[in-house]
Amino acid sequence: MLLFLQSLLNGILLGGIYASYSAGFSLIFGVMGVINIFHGEMVMLGAFLTYWVFTLFHIDPFLTIPLSVVSLFIFGYLIQRFVINRVVEAPPMISYILTFGIHLIIAYGALWAWTADFRTVTTSYSGFNANIGGIIVPYARLATFGLALLVVVGLYMLLYKSEVGRAIQATAQDKEMARLMGVNISRIYAITFGVGAAITGVAGSLISTYFIVFPQMGLPYTIIAFCVVVLGGMGYIPGALWGGLILGVVQSLTATYLNAGLSGALTFILLFVMLIVRPAGIVGKGIVE
Amino acid sequence: MIGLLIVPFTRVSGYLIRLLAMIFFWIGKTGCWNIISGYTGYIDFGAVGYYGIGSYVTAILMSKGHVPFLLSILISGVVSGLIALPIGLPTLRLKGAYFGIATLAFAEAMKQIFLEFDKTVGVNFFEGPHGITLPIGPKNEFFYYIGFVVMVAVIGITYWIRRSKFGYALRAIHEAEHAAELSGVDTLRVKIKAYMISAFFLGLTGGVEAYWLTYITPHMVFDVLITIQMVVMSLLGGIGTVLGPVVGASFLTIIYEVLHRDFPYTYAIIVGFIVVVVVLLMPKGIVGTLTTKVKSEKILQA
Amino acid sequence: MRKICFGVVIASLVVVFASGIALAQQKFRIGCADPLTGTFGRDGNLVKDAYTFWADLINSKGGIEVKGKRYPVELTFIDDKSIAAENAKFTEKLITEDKVDLVLGGFGSDSVFAGSAVAEKYKHPFISGAASSNKLFDRGFKYYFSTLGKATEEVRGCVDIVQVLSPKPKTGAIIGSDILFTSLACEGYKKYAAQNGIEIILFELFPITLQDYNSMLLKVKQKNPDALFVGSHLMVAMKTIKAMKEIDFTPKMVTFSYGPTVPDFVKNLGKDAEYVLAASEWAPNLPYRDPLSGTARQFNEDYFKKYGRNPDYVEAASAAGAYAMQIAIGKLGITPPVKEEDRVRLMEELHKQNLMTFYGVVKFGADGANEAHPPVLVQVQDGKLVNVFPKDAAEATPWYPMKPWKER
Repeated sequence: MLLFLQSLLNGILLGGIYASYSAGFSLIFGVMGVINIFHGEMVMLGAFLTYWVFTLFHIDPFLTIPLSVVSLFIFGYLIQRFVINRVVEAPPMISYILTFGIHLIIAYGALWAWTADFRTVTTSYSGFNANIGGIIVPYARLATFGLALLVVVGLYMLLYKSEVGRAIQATAQDKEMARLMGVNISRIYAITFGVGAAITGVAGSLISTYFIVFPQMGLPYTIIAFCVVVLGGMGYIPGALWGGLILGVVQSLTATYLNAGLSGALTFILLFVMLIVRPAGIVGKGIVE
Repeated sequence: MIGLLIVPFTRVSGYLIRLLAMIFFWIGKTGCWNIISGYTGYIDFGAVGYYGIGSYVTAILMSKGHVPFLLSILISGVVSGLIALPIGLPTLRLKGAYFGIATLAFAEAMKQIFLEFDKTVGVNFFEGPHGITLPIGPKNEFFYYIGFVVMVAVIGITYWIRRSKFGYALRAIHEAEHAAELSGVDTLRVKIKAYMISAFFLGLTGGVEAYWLTYITPHMVFDVLITIQMVVMSLLGGIGTVLGPVVGASFLTIIYEVLHRDFPYTYAIIVGFIVVVVVLLMPKGIVGTLTTKVKSEKILQA
Repeated sequence: MRKICFGVVIASLVVVFASGIALAQQKFRIGCADPLTGTFGRDGNLVKDAYTFWADLINSKGGIEVKGKRYPVELTFIDDKSIAAENAKFTEKLITEDKVDLVLGGFGSDSVFAGSAVAEKYKHPFISGAASSNKLFDRGFKYYFSTLGKATEEVRGCVDIVQVLSPKPKTGAIIGSDILFTSLACEGYKKYAAQNGIEIILFELFPITLQDYNSMLLKVKQKNPDALFVGSHLMVAMKTIKAMKEIDFTPKMVTFSYGPTVPDFVKNLGKDAEYVLAASEWAPNLPYRDPLSGTARQFNEDYFKKYGRNPDYVEAASAAGAYAMQIAIGKLGITPPVKEEDRVRLMEELHKQNLMTFYGVVKFGADGANEAHPPVLVQVQDGKLVNVFPKDAAEATPWYPMKPWKER
């Protein structure tokens, strides 16, 4: 029983991690219809930012979060404004390929700048965990889970309670109408992308404390983000949590009770089935083109 | 074209033969991708799945069954084509992004299945991560010619499709699927047909390349990077055009060769920039943009 | 018209080849296709550094000595991006287009598997110091040589050490990533565990792409093995330690087939790396020496002076491989440009070689594997790698059992 609970908890925490870096992906797709293939690179950039600040200036990774937020927001805003904006009107194929090209530039640029060395952030309290009734709860992951919740709630507040948020929603629902109502579409897109980048970057910052950081780490994260948002519903932000949790728990239980290899196969089979049977995601609120 | 046939008889280096052969194979693979994605507009991110299946079928037939090469690759093509049916039926009903993700999931699942099958079922068939070693093949010239034939076949079929009613239906699906459906086109059937043709040739190519490589593992033949190369080459050359894959594959393979050696890190960055520039300035690809230019000039002249 | 073009092409090729040959006469041109980026980019760069170390060292003396004259060495590396098919292609390019005199092997069983197949076809002796999968030696190749032993034998020290530990570990769990070298290392663990009377209560290979190890290790923790044997490269080793700490799992000992000997391991994990055991085929305190590099300890120091870090055993093995080739060339009196007959003689000489080097004895068996090379086991103690097994080679006693995380 204890094993089951521990594995379940691992899965839930893992799901939170997945959700934390997938929410941004969902947001960008939901509002702009762009599938961002360099999404994983934003995780990587956040992770490296934290790594370098920690290694060079000995600043605690949790304190680097504001820096991540601001840097990645600016990064996302600028990239959208000057590059991606040109193709939002074009067929989706074009945006895949454009974002793929950007992925190459960022991932290999990072490789050239920082070399292929594997790095990780090991603080004095790394790996610390609480032992609650025999169940181990690693603090860093718990923090990331907390972040995921914060992100979902925060985005909700942004979208429903702020003016910018309402403009974003209007743009997502009916672009032409929004434009007629005076919304500056390109500015909204840029802000959306910036927000998506910022939350993803912060997830990357935290991830650097328990996963390995290296320039080419991005692509697997992008693929998982795909899976998570399909499971949870594309463009539906809370869905990132649901999708993440489902994926995390399934993977965890499979790895503990069967074998880790199957957890990978199952992820994709699950994804495949979901797309056929329920493309709008588990809760049914996703965008289906 | 005739020149290409004679090249192996000249004294050019073995390396050049190998390079040209690789270009032929990339043109072939890109052409296959173009048949389904270029024509219908359904972006297939799982094409490597069929390539990998074909590789394994040939590998097993030749190494364990001692089946001759030509028969093996034909069987590989057929098996891949047949598998495309149950995969295509549900996925081709999905729209745009979802089709892409579903096909990607299919390819990744295939990789995992080939890695885990033996262990899970308790047999010694696919060899999982240990990979399969095929019998040592003939020299590069042999593969040069096979690659040439496959390339001509794929491009030939692409050309034939374009001029046929089938091709017309495919393009109608690309432009306005709903309208096509309303006017009586069985869109699913048409899409499946293109998907299966593409899968057949991908499987066949996978079989040939497995023999050429002599050693395959699931990581090698189900690599998503292979699909991505096909996509980028198509884009560069011109999606949906007949010569697009030829131009795109040749161009990118040569750039890769030129840059890769002396600028190992920057090569990928440069390709990234090329992709971005092409997408922003020449979304129709090289061939597409040129053809449009020629067409518009003709119209202006008339 | 076509005939003229044809003629021009042939003429220019002849000119290029001729000038290439003229330039090549004064030095040995050696090519190596090696992963410099990708999954094994880090490890591949170690091999590059090792060969460069050897080349710079021999060139500082004027070059390889053949029949009284000295010929400098020129190395060319091509990045195969950790893709085996690319390694085959580039090895072929080096041989047929660049017409290098000799080739050396890169890092990793996958790359070496592909590259050596090409080398065999072109009758180029191919020495590698960074790949050990058993399958490499099962192909009946004559031109393939490795200064490392076989993967399943490399990990022997990892298991045999239980003979000197007390209380002796009774149960063990084996995990490893699902690629060639690591899966063979796991089989090696299994074989030696049986010989040492250790009961294996879990054996699992996991995908190299697995992101999260916690849930899988949970299963291992629950079975409570005395010893954990891991088939790994650097990244897997680092992830395993991090995960073990997060789920608070401390077996009595943990050992890796590869990873901890790369300096990044200790650098990145800090205190968490303590107690970790790792397979090695070399340690600086061993009583080996040769005229070029001096003693093992001297090699270690010179390497540190040049690169600011101590060499990993793979680097030592690679440099030793290059040295073995150098000695054979000198003995046979082969001068550049190297012709095919020379390389055939080189292959035969390498098979006969029984050479003492700073790395230990290099004696290639009929299948190419280094026969005379006993594996050693190192442990991270106070941030340093020390040789702990076998006893007659050890410089310190092994720390055992592993201290639980919370007590450190």
